Amino acid sequence: MVTASDTESIQVEIIPRRYLMPATAQKLLNAIYENGGLTRIMIHGPNLPRNVPYGPGKGAPIEENRDLLIDVGGQAFELRVKVGRVRLELESEKYFSGLKAACERALPFSVEIKRGKFFRTRQTLTDYAKFGEVEDKRYLGLIDPKAKKDRLALLSEEKVAINDEER
Amino acid sequence: MAYTPQYYPGSTSVGINRRKHMSGNLEKLRDIPEADVVAIMGHRAPGADYSSTHPPLKEMGEPDCPIRQLVTPTAGAAAGDRVRYSQWTDSMYFAPAIPYWRSYWGAINCKGCDPGTLSGRQIIEARERDIETYTKEQYDSEMTDVALCSMRGCTVHGHSLRLEENGLQFDMLARCEMGADGNVYATKDQVGIPLDRKINLGKPMTEAEAKKRTTIFRADGIPMCGKVGARKYDEAVEALHHMWELRSKWGFRPE
Repeated sequence: MVTASDTESIQVEIIPRRYLMPATAQKLLNAIYENGGLTRIMIHGPNLPRNVPYGPGKGAPIEENRDLLIDVGGQAFELRVKVGRVRLELESEKYFSGLKAACERALPFSVEIKRGKFFRTRQTLTDYAKFGEVEDKRYLGLIDPKAKKDRLALLSEEKVAINDEER
Repeated sequence: MAYTPQYYPGSTSVGINRRKHMSGNLEKLRDIPEADVVAIMGHRAPGADYSSTHPPLKEMGEPDCPIRQLVTPTAGAAAGDRVRYSQWTDSMYFAPAIPYWRSYWGAINCKGCDPGTLSGRQIIEARERDIETYTKEQYDSEMTDVALCSMRGCTVHGHSLRLEENGLQFDMLARCEMGADGNVYATKDQVGIPLDRKINLGKPMTEAEAKKRTTIFRADGIPMCGKVGARKYDEAVEALHHMWELRSKWGFRPE
């Protein structure tokens, strides 16, 4: 018999003990991707500005933070944050144990994996002001309310849309 | 018998380290050339003249004042240097120093300086010649671990964040990098302007050594109460309770 909990989607938060370098982030994200069952995924961490944002050196380029390209599931995109946390939704419970194994395989240090509710289900006023009516509810919770409107990277089967604004 | 100041109570390693920091009786771990420290501070090019705000004191003709006769001016004050700063960010992951202890060290051991303590960073201001000496002392001594502490004039974010994969404290501006040889290199000055060369700061401490030298009480390191399960709290907590009691009573003043 299939119970309701086996077929409902679950949300997971992955918190590695350290911030990930782009190569490790790529390894982790690919391991998660290969495990399958992903509905949506968000990476989170401190911002990596491309120029010194303020102070006497304002405007000086930060070459280390530029062109941090990673390849996930055959699609390349540029990292704009230091990966410190990954939130994702899985189609069902059955992918969870594989996800845990994938994280342990990909990371050379310990990782905390939490289950809970991490993506909001209703649109906030800020979402509405910035994006209007969000039709695809999967975007809810993936959009950082503090970020500028155009700072959103979407990877899908059809296309890759990354905003490349200079900051 | 000569008086020995009693700086901080407690018999834990953190208490002992805190006393060491305050007394200035610190172990020297490395020797970073003065020109490199000046370059990382970024206020003047190494070898350039010091900018000044007033003529040297000898040329100024000071008024007849008993205090001025008693107090010898520092080298920077005597030359009339500008006031400059150096600011440090120490990771909460067992960095050897914390803002309060850098300030105590500065206020007790450094003449003519103005320490400022903030939650995640610590700044010391002094005349340029003096601040260069004080900064070098901080860099060379056990107050600093090159991976867990860094000089950050702006964008100080990093104290309360997880470490990077290679053990460095997170830095948005990437002012330091871990070399392939295991040494930490400074590639930018404290405000993020690239240096013309990489400055070798030496090897970082191991995790065990950082825990040994830290001045941070942590539940997963040395807790403030001392040994867990001991019959008696460490003296640091007793002294803290004592101060709290006196301060509360003094502050309350029911009349």
